[in-house]
Amino acid sequence: MRSRRVRRAVTVVALLALMAAFGFGVNRLIASRKTNIHSETSSYVPTATRPAIVLPGTLYLAQGGQLYRLSDGYFTSLHSSTTAGTWMQPAYVPGTQNILAVLRSAEYSNLYLLSSQGTVIRRLSNNAVVASKVTQVWLNHWMFWPHFGPTGTLYFAYDEPKNSSSYAVDFSIWSGSLTGTLANQRLTTANPFTGGDVEPVPMANGDVMFSRYSISNGNAFSFIALETKPLVQPAILSTGAQDCGQADPSPDGTMVAMICIGGTGLQSTRLEVAPLVGTKLGTPRTLVNNCLCSAPVWAPDGSGLVYYNATDSAGHFELWWLKGALTATPAAPLQVTSNLNFDATSPPSWSPLTSIPVMAR
Amino acid sequence: MLLGFLIAFGFVLSGAVGAVAYFMPAIVTAFQDTGHSITRITPAATARASASASASAAATQPPSVAPPPGAPFTVLLLGSDNDAKFGGTVLTQSMILARVNPTTRHVVMESIPRDLWVPLASGGSAKIDAAYLHGGASGAVATVEEDFHIHIDHYAWIGLLGLVNLIDQVGGIDVVATNPVMDDYYPADISGTNPYAYERVAVLPGPQHMNGIQALEYVRSRHGDLRSDFGRSQRQQQVLLALRAKAKLLGIADLPDIATAMANDFSTDMSISQIASLLPIASSVQLQNVQQVILAPPYTSNLQIDNQDALAPNWNLILPETHKYFPAV
Repeated sequence: MRSRRVRRAVTVVALLALMAAFGFGVNRLIASRKTNIHSETSSYVPTATRPAIVLPGTLYLAQGGQLYRLSDGYFTSLHSSTTAGTWMQPAYVPGTQNILAVLRSAEYSNLYLLSSQGTVIRRLSNNAVVASKVTQVWLNHWMFWPHFGPTGTLYFAYDEPKNSSSYAVDFSIWSGSLTGTLANQRLTTANPFTGGDVEPVPMANGDVMFSRYSISNGNAFSFIALETKPLVQPAILSTGAQDCGQADPSPDGTMVAMICIGGTGLQSTRLEVAPLVGTKLGTPRTLVNNCLCSAPVWAPDGSGLVYYNATDSAGHFELWWLKGALTATPAAPLQVTSNLNFDATSPPSWSPLTSIPVMAR
Repeated sequence: MLLGFLIAFGFVLSGAVGAVAYFMPAIVTAFQDTGHSITRITPAATARASASASASAAATQPPSVAPPPGAPFTVLLLGSDNDAKFGGTVLTQSMILARVNPTTRHVVMESIPRDLWVPLASGGSAKIDAAYLHGGASGAVATVEEDFHIHIDHYAWIGLLGLVNLIDQVGGIDVVATNPVMDDYYPADISGTNPYAYERVAVLPGPQHMNGIQALEYVRSRHGDLRSDFGRSQRQQQVLLALRAKAKLLGIADLPDIATAMANDFSTDMSISQIASLLPIASSVQLQNVQQVILAPPYTSNLQIDNQDALAPNWNLILPETHKYFPAV
């Protein structure tokens, strides 16, 4: 009789435990149906992945405030300290294994010269306001999009000239050198209150291609522009309706890759190429439509181009390769990386050099 | 037989408890933040309030009848500061009228400039962003209804932190930044200890992934933009559409996290069932079926009044344009 009671009690306890477990299971089952779209936490570091194909030369890229090198099919972290801000927009220094990069802090950004291993060789600019005026944040400056020309001249966008009695803060294109004055020569005069002139890319003949912003009829537009002489009106190569920017001329100077958003309702972009003849752009050809493509960069040998595109629901920007973009029949785009999350505002920098020593993969 | 029923009931009950426990944050938020009623202020009361400049004098009428299911309806979307420097009283930084047609899946969004100088339902004239300051959501709804001669069925208010948390909760949004958005006088009222301090903003142009703070900077900054508030209105609509694209991916299991993120920073007069019926509509609206209206010049013109920079409405243009999409009353 007693053992029967005990058995019954054990059965009841077991049933209650099972019910509790069932309730917990239902709770966890629903939780497991959550959408996994936490982009910042669900991406891998590049060094934990391998690209789908081996690209020639060396690519420098930025993700999560860190700089990475992609060479010979392997990513290498440049291990730059991120305590002072986020690293972005790497640019290789022609003929060397050093790179230039932007270190962005909350109120300013500076250009740094780094070794191939990511060690800071030198800070090139001093855009932070002095400590005694730290609350006057408008005295700080921004510098972005460094890019070297074939003669070693450095080009970048800089928010000077700036008048602290005005709300206008606009980028202009500047040039300088690593060894002399960094902001030596202002090349462009931006349209005020538009954001200005950005993304300079020097060409073999010394001209500088860049994106110029303009505002009319209540809308902001970007034009591809070509500066042939400092502070003169640049040649405008595209129309406001096309709304194109992020231009990159091919190594042979015959074609321009660009990102256009005209007619997309500002929710997507197109990757286009157009022939360049003198200071005129020919009829553009759309290579990828209805995408979130950005930052196209030609391979040093012109065999194709890489670009970023957001390919999954999380909005991760991955690296893509488009072979034969100079030809009339380019290959289908190929996704190079997966589960990464590149900084889409940091165009890749593609050096033809491959002889960088591989360390600590 | 009875024992079997009891055991089955026990399992059903425990499963229900498990589910309710999971959805508890959403349930709490739903009861706290939804179903707020709009107190509709009558024109007569407005006149009296005008004389006394007091919203408290306003007489009220019962809330209007909700539109039948499937019928087009109008929502006033309000976004505002909710930081310390206003001592609990806040201005709206964003006012967007949205007309939703559930049958055709067509949406029109019309941004109302915050500096528009209008008669307020609570009395007197001021910038329209003060309508919320003086009368809360009811004051904002009544002011827009009276000035634009339309009927508003519902409102939804979200605070700055609510927007930041919502965007972070959905894993950020992908936005094609229209131009470099530069601002040296952006209010540092979210992150810093001094709500009157400034910080610098530089949103670089082109496609990019934005977290909540970055998206807030993009939609809130206006000093470096030639269009000032109009540029910001366009960016606000753009971010709303980007958020809609991300929301399409969410499922019911995501509700508790979303609710927790927005707790205390969201309120609406819509009921839980009305919000639930809206979600499938929001996710099925195609981008080409979303029409965006910005009341830039010539709908408005610059105005200096009471030592303030404001915008004078050109009602002869605004009302016909508005009534193309929002039925006149």
